[in-house]
Amino acid sequence: MRRPAPSTVRWLILAALLVFWELMPRTGIIPELFLPTLSKTLAVLVKDWREYASELSVTLYEVAVAMLIACGGGILAGALIGGVTLLRNLLLPVFSSLYAIPIVILYPIFTAWFGIGSESKIIFAGVYGFFPVMLSTAAGIRTIDEQLLLAARSMGATVPQQITRVIIPASIPTVLTGLRLGGALTIVGVVVSEMLTSAAGIGYLVTRYRTILDSPHVFGAIIMILLLSIAFDAFARAIERRTAVWQVAGRRRKEGEPADIIARPVQAAV
Amino acid sequence: MQHLANVTQLRPEPARPAIEVAALNHIYDGRDGQVPALENIALTVGVGKFTVIVGPSGCGKTSLLMMMAGLRHQTSGTINIQSRPIDRPDPDRVGVVFQEASLFPWLSALDNIEFPMALRNAPREERRTRATDMLNLVGLQGFGARYPHELSGGMKQRVSIARGLVQDPPVLLMDEPFAALDEQTRMTMGHELLRIWSQTAKTVVFVTHSLTEAVYLADEVLVMSARPGRIIDRITISLPRPRSYEMMGTEVFGRLRERIWQQIRKEG
Repeated sequence: MRRPAPSTVRWLILAALLVFWELMPRTGIIPELFLPTLSKTLAVLVKDWREYASELSVTLYEVAVAMLIACGGGILAGALIGGVTLLRNLLLPVFSSLYAIPIVILYPIFTAWFGIGSESKIIFAGVYGFFPVMLSTAAGIRTIDEQLLLAARSMGATVPQQITRVIIPASIPTVLTGLRLGGALTIVGVVVSEMLTSAAGIGYLVTRYRTILDSPHVFGAIIMILLLSIAFDAFARAIERRTAVWQVAGRRRKEGEPADIIARPVQAAV
Repeated sequence: MQHLANVTQLRPEPARPAIEVAALNHIYDGRDGQVPALENIALTVGVGKFTVIVGPSGCGKTSLLMMMAGLRHQTSGTINIQSRPIDRPDPDRVGVVFQEASLFPWLSALDNIEFPMALRNAPREERRTRATDMLNLVGLQGFGARYPHELSGGMKQRVSIARGLVQDPPVLLMDEPFAALDEQTRMTMGHELLRIWSQTAKTVVFVTHSLTEAVYLADEVLVMSARPGRIIDRITISLPRPRSYEMMGTEVFGRLRERIWQQIRKEG
Protein backbone atom coordinates (compact mmCIF):
# COMPACT_ATOMS: atom_id res chain seq x y z
CA MET A 1 0.00 0.00 0.00
CA ARG A 2 1.28 3.45 -0.82
CA ARG A 3 1.90 5.79 2.04
CA PRO A 4 -0.25 8.96 1.69
CA ALA A 5 1.52 12.24 1.06
CA PRO A 6 2.36 14.28 4.21
CA SER A 7 0.16 17.15 3.06
CA THR A 8 -2.81 14.79 2.73
CA VAL A 9 -2.18 13.54 6.25
CA ARG A 10 -1.97 17.12 7.55
CA TRP A 11 -5.35 18.00 6.04
CA LEU A 12 -6.86 14.81 7.42
CA ILE A 13 -5.64 15.67 10.92
CA LEU A 14 -7.14 19.15 10.61
CA ALA A 15 -10.45 17.73 9.40
CA ALA A 16 -10.46 15.22 12.26
CA LEU A 17 -9.90 18.02 14.78
CA LEU A 18 -12.81 20.01 13.37
CA VAL A 19 -15.10 16.97 13.52
CA PHE A 20 -13.88 16.35 17.08
CA TRP A 21 -14.65 19.98 17.93
CA GLU A 22 -18.20 19.59 16.67
CA LEU A 23 -18.85 16.19 18.28
CA MET A 24 -17.35 16.53 21.77
CA PRO A 25 -19.74 19.27 23.02
CA ARG A 26 -22.66 17.83 21.05
CA THR A 27 -22.36 14.46 22.80
CA GLY A 28 -21.95 16.23 26.13
CA ILE A 29 -18.47 14.86 26.85
CA ILE A 30 -17.27 18.46 27.13
CA PRO A 31 -19.74 21.06 28.49
CA GLU A 32 -20.69 23.69 25.92
CA LEU A 33 -19.57 26.41 28.32
CA PHE A 34 -15.98 25.20 27.95
CA LEU A 35 -16.19 24.37 24.28
CA PRO A 36 -19.13 25.46 22.15
CA THR A 37 -19.77 23.42 19.01
CA LEU A 38 -18.02 24.46 15.83
CA SER A 39 -21.34 25.10 14.12
CA LYS A 40 -22.52 27.44 16.88
CA THR A 41 -19.25 29.33 16.83
CA LEU A 42 -19.40 29.79 13.06
CA ALA A 43 -23.04 30.84 13.28
CA VAL A 44 -22.11 33.56 15.78
CA LEU A 45 -19.29 34.72 13.52
CA VAL A 46 -21.69 35.04 10.60
CA LYS A 47 -24.41 36.73 12.62
CA ASP A 48 -22.16 39.31 14.26
CA TRP A 49 -19.69 39.73 11.43
CA ARG A 50 -19.98 43.51 11.57
CA GLU A 51 -18.78 43.64 15.15
CA TYR A 52 -15.93 41.20 14.44
CA ALA A 53 -14.90 43.08 11.33
CA SER A 54 -14.77 46.46 13.03
CA GLU A 55 -12.77 45.10 16.00
CA LEU A 56 -10.49 43.20 13.63
CA SER A 57 -9.79 46.40 11.71
CA VAL A 58 -8.64 48.05 14.96
CA THR A 59 -6.33 45.11 15.62
CA LEU A 60 -5.03 45.11 12.05
CA TYR A 61 -4.23 48.79 12.24
CA GLU A 62 -2.33 48.32 15.49
CA VAL A 63 -0.47 45.31 14.12
CA ALA A 64 0.50 47.17 10.94
CA VAL A 65 1.93 50.19 12.76
CA ALA A 66 3.64 48.03 15.38
CA MET A 67 5.25 45.94 12.63
CA LEU A 68 6.55 49.07 10.96
CA ILE A 69 8.17 50.09 14.24
CA ALA A 70 9.50 46.60 15.01
CA CYS A 71 10.85 45.93 11.51
CA GLY A 72 12.12 49.41 10.70
CA GLY A 73 13.70 49.97 14.09
CA GLY A 74 14.94 46.39 14.30
CA ILE A 75 16.63 46.44 10.92
CA LEU A 76 18.20 49.84 11.53
CA ALA A 77 19.45 49.01 15.02
CA GLY A 78 20.53 45.53 13.93
CA ALA A 79 22.50 46.92 11.00
CA LEU A 80 24.31 49.41 13.24
CA ILE A 81 25.00 46.88 15.97
CA GLY A 82 26.04 44.18 13.54
CA GLY A 83 28.17 46.49 11.44
CA VAL A 84 29.91 48.71 13.99
CA THR A 85 32.22 46.80 16.33
CA LEU A 86 32.10 49.40 19.10
CA LEU A 87 28.29 49.45 19.20
CA ARG A 88 28.21 45.68 19.04
CA ASN A 89 30.48 45.27 22.05
CA LEU A 90 28.55 47.89 24.01
CA LEU A 91 24.98 47.01 23.14
CA LEU A 92 24.64 43.43 21.94
CA PRO A 93 25.01 41.83 25.40
CA VAL A 94 22.51 44.32 26.82
CA PHE A 95 19.94 43.66 24.11
CA SER A 96 20.43 39.90 24.28
CA SER A 97 19.66 39.98 28.02
CA LEU A 98 16.70 42.30 27.53
CA TYR A 99 15.28 39.82 25.03
CA ALA A 100 15.00 37.25 27.81
CA ILE A 101 12.87 39.56 29.98
CA PRO A 102 9.08 39.07 29.73
CA ILE A 103 8.38 42.50 28.33
CA VAL A 104 4.70 42.14 29.16
CA ILE A 105 5.57 43.38 32.67
CA LEU A 106 6.11 46.79 31.06
CA TYR A 107 2.62 46.92 29.65
CA PRO A 108 0.94 48.44 32.70
CA ILE A 109 3.55 51.21 32.56
CA PHE A 110 2.82 51.78 28.86
CA THR A 111 -0.90 52.15 29.58
CA ALA A 112 -0.08 54.67 32.26
CA TRP A 113 2.07 56.63 29.82
CA PHE A 114 0.10 56.27 26.59
CA GLY A 115 -3.44 55.53 27.74
CA ILE A 116 -5.59 52.49 26.99
CA GLY A 117 -6.10 53.36 23.31
CA SER A 118 -4.17 52.05 20.34
CA GLU A 119 -0.95 53.91 21.19
CA SER A 120 -0.03 51.74 24.16
CA LYS A 121 -0.69 48.55 22.14
CA ILE A 122 1.34 49.75 19.19
CA ILE A 123 4.29 50.70 21.34
CA PHE A 124 4.17 47.56 23.44
CA ALA A 125 3.90 45.25 20.42
CA GLY A 126 6.51 47.26 18.54
CA VAL A 127 9.00 46.78 21.37
CA TYR A 128 8.02 43.14 21.64
CA GLY A 129 8.66 42.44 17.95
CA PHE A 130 11.76 44.65 17.77
CA PHE A 131 14.16 42.24 19.48
CA PRO A 132 14.10 39.24 17.16
CA VAL A 133 14.34 41.52 14.13
CA MET A 134 17.26 43.44 15.61
CA LEU A 135 19.12 40.35 16.82
CA SER A 136 18.79 38.42 13.57
CA THR A 137 19.74 41.45 11.47
CA ALA A 138 22.85 41.89 13.60
CA ALA A 139 23.63 38.18 13.28
CA GLY A 140 23.03 38.27 9.53
CA ILE A 141 25.51 41.07 9.06
CA ARG A 142 28.06 39.64 11.45
CA THR A 143 28.17 36.20 9.85
CA ILE A 144 28.77 37.34 6.29
CA ASP A 145 31.53 35.33 4.64
CA GLU A 146 34.61 37.59 4.80
CA GLN A 147 35.81 36.00 1.60
CA LEU A 148 32.92 37.58 -0.31
CA LEU A 149 33.91 41.04 0.88
CA LEU A 150 37.55 40.38 0.04
CA ALA A 151 36.55 39.26 -3.45
CA ALA A 152 34.41 42.37 -3.94
CA ARG A 153 37.28 44.58 -2.82
CA SER A 154 39.66 42.84 -5.21
CA MET A 155 37.27 43.80 -7.99
CA GLY A 156 37.45 47.42 -6.93
CA ALA A 157 34.19 47.72 -4.97
CA THR A 158 33.94 50.96 -2.99
CA VAL A 159 32.57 50.88 0.57
CA PRO A 160 29.03 51.92 -0.50
CA GLN A 161 29.16 49.26 -3.22
CA GLN A 162 30.26 46.66 -0.67
CA ILE A 163 27.22 47.56 1.42
CA THR A 164 24.63 47.58 -1.37
CA ARG A 165 26.00 44.74 -3.46
CA VAL A 166 27.41 42.34 -0.87
CA ILE A 167 26.36 43.03 2.72
CA ILE A 168 22.67 43.69 2.07
CA PRO A 169 21.98 40.79 -0.31
CA ALA A 170 24.04 38.44 1.85
CA SER A 171 22.06 39.25 4.99
CA ILE A 172 18.57 39.22 3.47
CA PRO A 173 17.76 35.57 4.32
CA THR A 174 18.65 35.98 8.01
CA VAL A 175 16.83 39.30 8.21
CA LEU A 176 13.70 37.76 6.69
CA THR A 177 13.70 35.01 9.29
CA GLY A 178 13.89 37.72 11.95
CA LEU A 179 11.01 39.58 10.32
CA ARG A 180 8.86 36.47 10.39
CA LEU A 181 9.57 35.88 14.10
CA GLY A 182 9.25 39.57 14.95
CA GLY A 183 6.03 39.91 12.97
CA ALA A 184 4.47 36.94 14.77
CA LEU A 185 5.50 38.41 18.13
CA THR A 186 3.97 41.73 17.12
CA ILE A 187 0.61 40.03 16.60
CA VAL A 188 0.96 38.30 19.97
CA GLY A 189 1.85 41.64 21.57
CA VAL A 190 -1.17 43.44 20.17
CA VAL A 191 -3.64 40.70 21.07
CA VAL A 192 -2.26 40.20 24.58
CA SER A 193 -2.30 43.90 25.35
CA GLU A 194 -5.84 44.20 24.01
CA MET A 195 -6.86 41.42 26.32
CA LEU A 196 -5.25 43.07 29.33
CA THR A 197 -6.46 46.64 29.20
CA SER A 198 -8.39 48.15 26.33
CA ALA A 199 -11.71 49.18 24.84
CA ALA A 200 -11.34 47.85 21.31
CA GLY A 201 -9.74 45.16 19.19
CA ILE A 202 -10.19 41.45 18.73
CA GLY A 203 -8.35 40.64 21.97
CA TYR A 204 -10.77 42.93 23.79
CA LEU A 205 -13.67 40.89 22.37
CA VAL A 206 -12.18 37.72 23.85
CA THR A 207 -11.98 39.26 27.30
CA ARG A 208 -15.37 40.94 27.17
CA TYR A 209 -17.29 37.84 26.08
CA ARG A 210 -15.41 35.66 28.50
CA THR A 211 -16.52 37.80 31.45
CA ILE A 212 -20.14 37.30 30.43
CA LEU A 213 -19.54 33.57 29.83
CA ASP A 214 -20.51 33.79 26.14
CA SER A 215 -18.34 30.94 24.88
CA PRO A 216 -19.37 30.94 21.19
CA HIS A 217 -18.37 34.60 20.87
CA VAL A 218 -15.05 33.96 22.64
CA PHE A 219 -14.25 31.13 20.27
CA GLY A 220 -15.34 33.24 17.31
CA ALA A 221 -12.72 35.82 18.26
CA ILE A 222 -10.13 33.09 18.74
CA ILE A 223 -10.79 31.84 15.21
CA MET A 224 -10.24 35.35 13.87
CA ILE A 225 -6.88 35.62 15.66
CA LEU A 226 -5.83 32.18 14.40
CA LEU A 227 -6.66 33.17 10.84
CA LEU A 228 -4.74 36.43 11.20
CA SER A 229 -1.61 34.63 12.46
CA ILE A 230 -1.82 31.91 9.83
CA ALA A 231 -2.25 34.47 7.07
CA PHE A 232 0.79 36.43 8.26
CA ASP A 233 2.92 33.30 8.54
CA ALA A 234 1.96 32.12 5.06
CA PHE A 235 2.78 35.54 3.65
CA ALA A 236 6.15 35.69 5.42
CA ARG A 237 7.08 32.18 4.35
CA ALA A 238 6.19 32.93 0.75
CA ILE A 239 8.65 35.83 0.76
CA GLU A 240 11.30 33.75 2.50
CA ARG A 241 10.92 30.96 -0.02
CA ARG A 242 11.81 33.31 -2.85
CA THR A 243 15.23 33.82 -1.31
CA ALA A 244 15.61 30.27 -0.05
CA VAL A 245 17.52 29.35 -3.21
CA TRP A 246 20.71 30.71 -1.78
CA GLN A 247 19.78 30.89 1.88
CA VAL A 248 22.14 28.10 2.88
CA ALA A 249 24.70 28.93 0.25
CA GLY A 250 25.17 32.45 1.64
CA ARG A 251 27.02 31.09 4.63
CA ARG A 252 30.27 29.22 4.72
CA ARG A 253 29.83 25.57 3.94
CA LYS A 254 31.96 22.68 3.03
CA GLU A 255 33.13 22.19 -0.50
CA GLY A 256 32.02 19.20 -2.48
CA GLU A 257 28.39 19.16 -1.40
CA PRO A 258 26.93 18.47 -4.77
CA ALA A 259 23.62 20.06 -5.58
CA ASP A 260 21.25 17.48 -7.01
CA ILE A 261 21.40 19.03 -10.46
CA ILE A 262 25.04 18.01 -10.72
CA ALA A 263 24.10 14.39 -10.26
CA ARG A 264 23.86 14.26 -14.03
CA PRO A 265 27.45 14.11 -15.26
CA VAL A 266 28.58 17.00 -17.35
CA GLN A 267 31.13 16.20 -20.00
CA ALA A 268 32.65 19.55 -20.76
CA ALA A 269 32.86 20.78 -17.21
CA VAL A 270 34.08 18.91 -14.20
CA MET B 1 66.44 47.67 -9.96
CA GLN B 2 65.44 50.40 -12.29
CA HIS B 3 63.87 53.55 -10.95
CA LEU B 4 61.01 55.27 -12.69
CA ALA B 5 62.85 58.57 -12.63
CA ASN B 6 65.63 57.17 -14.79
CA VAL B 7 63.38 56.25 -17.66
CA THR B 8 63.62 58.84 -20.39
CA GLN B 9 60.60 59.29 -22.55
CA LEU B 10 62.65 59.70 -25.76
CA ARG B 11 63.92 56.14 -25.99
CA PRO B 12 61.43 53.33 -26.43
CA GLU B 13 60.88 51.72 -23.06
CA PRO B 14 62.54 48.36 -22.67
CA ALA B 15 60.11 45.56 -21.96
CA ARG B 16 59.78 45.54 -18.21
CA PRO B 17 58.56 42.62 -16.16
CA ALA B 18 54.85 42.50 -15.39
CA ILE B 19 55.50 42.16 -11.67
CA GLU B 20 58.48 43.48 -9.69
CA VAL B 21 58.74 43.00 -5.95
CA ALA B 22 61.77 44.48 -4.22
CA ALA B 23 63.07 44.54 -0.64
CA LEU B 24 59.66 43.63 0.70
CA ASN B 25 59.31 43.08 4.43
CA HIS B 26 56.24 42.53 6.47
CA ILE B 27 55.83 42.58 10.22
CA TYR B 28 52.52 42.15 11.96
CA ASP B 29 51.44 42.71 15.53
CA GLY B 30 50.90 39.34 17.13
CA ARG B 31 49.95 38.47 20.67
CA ASP B 32 53.59 38.31 21.76
CA GLY B 33 54.72 41.49 20.09
CA GLN B 34 55.87 42.03 16.54
CA VAL B 35 56.10 38.99 14.30
CA PRO B 36 58.17 39.11 11.12
CA ALA B 37 56.05 37.47 8.43
CA LEU B 38 57.92 38.19 5.20
CA GLU B 39 61.61 38.94 4.93
CA ASN B 40 63.41 40.63 2.11
CA ILE B 41 61.28 39.29 -0.70
CA ALA B 42 62.48 40.11 -4.21
CA LEU B 43 61.00 38.64 -7.32
CA THR B 44 60.17 39.49 -10.90
CA VAL B 45 57.68 37.88 -13.19
CA GLY B 46 58.10 38.45 -16.91
CA VAL B 47 55.16 39.36 -19.12
CA GLY B 48 53.11 36.29 -19.95
CA LYS B 49 55.00 34.03 -17.54
CA PHE B 50 53.46 31.48 -15.21
CA THR B 51 55.06 31.63 -11.76
CA VAL B 52 54.11 29.31 -8.91
CA ILE B 53 54.87 30.04 -5.25
CA VAL B 54 55.11 27.05 -2.90
CA GLY B 55 56.05 26.88 0.75
CA PRO B 56 55.07 25.40 4.09
CA SER B 57 51.79 26.43 5.70
CA GLY B 58 51.88 29.83 7.32
CA CYS B 59 54.95 30.98 5.39
CA GLY B 60 53.13 34.08 4.18
CA LYS B 61 52.65 33.13 0.54
CA THR B 62 49.00 34.10 0.63
CA SER B 63 49.88 37.38 2.35
CA LEU B 64 52.40 38.10 -0.38
CA LEU B 65 49.76 37.44 -3.03
CA MET B 66 47.24 39.68 -1.25
CA MET B 67 49.86 42.45 -1.25
CA MET B 68 50.36 42.02 -4.99
CA ALA B 69 46.58 42.35 -5.31
CA GLY B 70 46.62 45.60 -3.31
CA LEU B 71 44.37 44.00 -0.68
CA ARG B 72 46.94 44.18 2.10
CA HIS B 73 49.79 46.57 2.84
CA GLN B 74 53.39 45.53 3.37
CA THR B 75 55.47 47.09 6.13
CA SER B 76 58.20 48.13 3.71
CA GLY B 77 59.39 47.52 0.17
CA THR B 78 57.84 48.04 -3.24
CA ILE B 79 55.50 46.10 -5.47
CA ASN B 80 55.18 47.26 -9.05
CA ILE B 81 52.56 45.80 -11.34
CA GLN B 82 52.88 46.89 -14.96
CA SER B 83 55.61 49.31 -13.85
CA ARG B 84 53.41 51.14 -11.36
CA PRO B 85 53.18 50.63 -7.60
CA ILE B 86 50.02 48.94 -6.38
CA ASP B 87 48.59 50.15 -3.08
CA ARG B 88 44.94 49.33 -3.59
CA PRO B 89 42.95 46.83 -5.64
CA ASP B 90 43.08 47.73 -9.31
CA PRO B 91 40.94 45.42 -11.45
CA ASP B 92 42.37 46.99 -14.61
CA ARG B 93 45.77 45.56 -13.79
CA VAL B 94 45.11 42.59 -11.53
CA GLY B 95 42.43 39.90 -11.38
CA VAL B 96 42.27 37.66 -8.32
CA VAL B 97 40.98 34.10 -7.96
CA PHE B 98 40.53 32.93 -4.36
CA GLN B 99 40.83 29.57 -2.72
CA GLU B 100 37.22 28.82 -1.96
CA ALA B 101 35.10 29.85 -4.86
CA SER B 102 34.06 33.22 -3.49
CA LEU B 103 31.09 33.53 -5.79
CA PHE B 104 28.06 35.53 -4.72
CA PRO B 105 25.41 32.90 -4.00
CA TRP B 106 22.53 35.23 -4.91
CA LEU B 107 23.84 35.83 -8.43
CA SER B 108 23.77 33.45 -11.38
CA ALA B 109 27.07 32.33 -12.91
CA LEU B 110 26.77 34.97 -15.63
CA ASP B 111 25.89 37.73 -13.15
CA ASN B 112 28.85 36.70 -11.02
CA ILE B 113 31.16 37.06 -13.99
CA GLU B 114 29.61 40.44 -14.81
CA PHE B 115 29.99 41.68 -11.24
CA PRO B 116 33.30 43.56 -11.72
CA MET B 117 31.88 45.30 -14.79
CA ALA B 118 28.63 46.09 -12.99
CA LEU B 119 30.65 47.83 -10.28
CA ARG B 120 31.84 50.27 -12.91
CA ASN B 121 28.43 50.65 -14.53
CA ALA B 122 29.47 49.17 -17.85
CA PRO B 123 26.57 49.08 -20.34
CA ARG B 124 24.39 46.00 -19.92
CA GLU B 125 24.91 44.89 -23.52
CA GLU B 126 28.68 45.01 -23.23
CA ARG B 127 28.62 43.19 -19.91
CA ARG B 128 26.51 40.35 -21.26
CA THR B 129 28.65 39.89 -24.36
CA ARG B 130 31.90 39.96 -22.46
CA ALA B 131 30.69 37.67 -19.67
CA THR B 132 29.32 35.16 -22.17
CA ASP B 133 32.67 35.13 -23.96
CA MET B 134 34.41 34.41 -20.67
CA LEU B 135 31.90 31.69 -19.81
CA ASN B 136 32.68 30.00 -23.12
CA LEU B 137 36.41 30.44 -22.59
CA VAL B 138 36.28 28.50 -19.33
CA GLY B 139 34.18 25.77 -20.93
CA LEU B 140 30.83 26.46 -19.27
CA GLN B 141 28.66 27.12 -22.31
CA GLY B 142 25.03 26.94 -21.33
CA PHE B 143 25.61 27.17 -17.59
CA GLY B 144 25.24 30.95 -17.30
CA ALA B 145 21.83 30.85 -15.64
CA ARG B 146 22.91 28.38 -12.93
CA TYR B 147 23.41 29.60 -9.39
CA PRO B 148 26.64 28.72 -7.56
CA HIS B 149 24.94 26.08 -5.39
CA GLU B 150 23.88 24.35 -8.59
CA LEU B 151 27.48 24.04 -9.77
CA SER B 152 30.15 21.53 -8.77
CA GLY B 153 33.36 22.69 -7.07
CA GLY B 154 35.31 22.59 -10.33
CA MET B 155 32.63 24.52 -12.20
CA LYS B 156 32.56 27.17 -9.48
CA GLN B 157 36.29 27.68 -9.86
CA ARG B 158 35.84 27.99 -13.62
CA VAL B 159 33.34 30.78 -12.95
CA SER B 160 35.84 32.40 -10.57
CA ILE B 161 38.53 32.31 -13.22
CA ALA B 162 36.12 33.81 -15.75
CA ARG B 163 35.31 36.57 -13.27
CA GLY B 164 39.02 37.23 -12.72
CA LEU B 165 39.53 37.57 -16.46
CA VAL B 166 36.41 39.52 -17.41
CA GLN B 167 38.03 42.95 -17.26
CA ASP B 168 41.01 41.63 -19.19
CA PRO B 169 43.68 42.48 -16.61
CA PRO B 170 47.24 41.64 -17.74
CA VAL B 171 47.97 39.92 -14.40
CA LEU B 172 46.04 37.09 -12.78
CA LEU B 173 46.77 36.18 -9.14
CA MET B 174 45.52 32.81 -7.91
CA ASP B 175 45.46 31.83 -4.24
CA GLU B 176 45.32 28.02 -4.00
CA PRO B 177 42.35 28.02 -6.35
CA PHE B 178 42.08 24.24 -6.59
CA ALA B 179 42.89 23.35 -2.98
CA ALA B 180 39.33 22.41 -2.13
CA LEU B 181 38.84 20.16 -5.15
CA ASP B 182 39.28 16.41 -5.31
CA GLU B 183 42.40 15.03 -6.96
CA GLN B 184 40.93 14.20 -10.37
CA THR B 185 39.09 17.49 -10.68
CA ARG B 186 42.23 19.26 -9.60
CA MET B 187 44.29 17.69 -12.39
CA THR B 188 41.68 18.53 -14.98
CA MET B 189 41.42 22.09 -13.73
CA GLY B 190 45.20 22.54 -13.86
CA HIS B 191 45.20 21.41 -17.45
CA GLU B 192 42.25 23.66 -18.26
CA LEU B 193 44.00 26.60 -16.63
CA LEU B 194 47.02 26.09 -18.89
CA ARG B 195 44.73 26.06 -21.92
CA ILE B 196 43.03 29.30 -20.80
CA TRP B 197 46.40 30.84 -20.02
CA SER B 198 47.78 29.98 -23.46
CA GLN B 199 44.68 31.51 -25.07
CA THR B 200 44.81 34.75 -23.08
CA ALA B 201 48.56 35.33 -22.61
CA LYS B 202 48.19 36.54 -19.02
CA THR B 203 50.94 36.85 -16.47
CA VAL B 204 49.99 34.41 -13.70
CA VAL B 205 51.16 34.08 -10.12
CA PHE B 206 49.76 30.92 -8.56
CA VAL B 207 50.06 29.90 -4.91
CA THR B 208 49.73 26.21 -4.07
CA HIS B 209 50.57 23.45 -1.60
CA SER B 210 50.77 20.81 -4.29
CA LEU B 211 54.26 20.17 -5.64
CA THR B 212 52.93 18.20 -8.60
CA GLU B 213 50.65 21.08 -9.48
CA ALA B 214 53.58 23.50 -9.14
CA VAL B 215 55.86 21.61 -11.53
CA TYR B 216 53.05 20.86 -13.95
CA LEU B 217 51.92 24.47 -14.29
CA ALA B 218 54.96 26.66 -13.83
CA ASP B 219 57.59 28.38 -15.91
CA GLU B 220 59.31 29.13 -12.64
CA VAL B 221 58.70 27.84 -9.12
CA LEU B 222 59.57 30.03 -6.14
CA VAL B 223 60.08 28.11 -2.91
CA MET B 224 59.46 29.99 0.32
CA SER B 225 60.81 29.20 3.78
CA ALA B 226 58.80 28.82 6.97
CA ARG B 227 58.08 32.05 8.82
CA PRO B 228 59.50 34.56 8.37
CA GLY B 229 58.90 33.82 4.72
CA ARG B 230 61.90 34.22 2.43
CA ILE B 231 62.44 32.97 -1.08
CA ILE B 232 64.95 30.14 -0.68
CA ASP B 233 64.96 28.67 -4.16
CA ARG B 234 63.99 29.57 -7.70
CA ILE B 235 63.54 26.68 -10.07
CA THR B 236 63.05 27.12 -13.78
CA ILE B 237 60.77 24.43 -15.16
CA SER B 238 61.99 23.77 -18.67
CA LEU B 239 59.44 21.11 -19.55
CA PRO B 240 58.10 21.83 -23.02
CA ARG B 241 54.66 23.30 -23.57
CA PRO B 242 51.91 22.38 -24.02
CA ARG B 243 52.25 20.21 -20.94
CA SER B 244 50.64 16.80 -20.91
CA TYR B 245 49.68 14.36 -18.16
CA GLU B 246 52.31 11.90 -19.41
CA MET B 247 55.06 14.31 -18.39
CA MET B 248 54.25 13.67 -14.75
CA GLY B 249 55.71 10.20 -15.08
CA THR B 250 59.03 11.36 -16.57
CA GLU B 251 62.32 11.44 -14.75
CA VAL B 252 62.77 15.19 -15.28
CA PHE B 253 59.40 15.86 -13.65
CA GLY B 254 60.27 13.66 -10.72
CA ARG B 255 63.67 15.32 -10.23
CA LEU B 256 62.12 18.80 -10.21
CA ARG B 257 59.44 17.75 -7.78
CA GLU B 258 62.04 16.11 -5.56
CA ARG B 259 64.18 19.24 -5.50
CA ILE B 260 61.27 21.36 -4.30
CA TRP B 261 60.28 18.74 -1.75
CA GLN B 262 63.80 18.67 -0.30
CA GLN B 263 63.73 22.43 0.14
CA ILE B 264 60.35 22.43 1.84
CA ARG B 265 61.17 19.42 4.00
CA LYS B 266 64.17 21.24 5.45
CA GLU B 267 61.80 24.00 6.50
CA GLY B 268 59.39 21.51 8.12
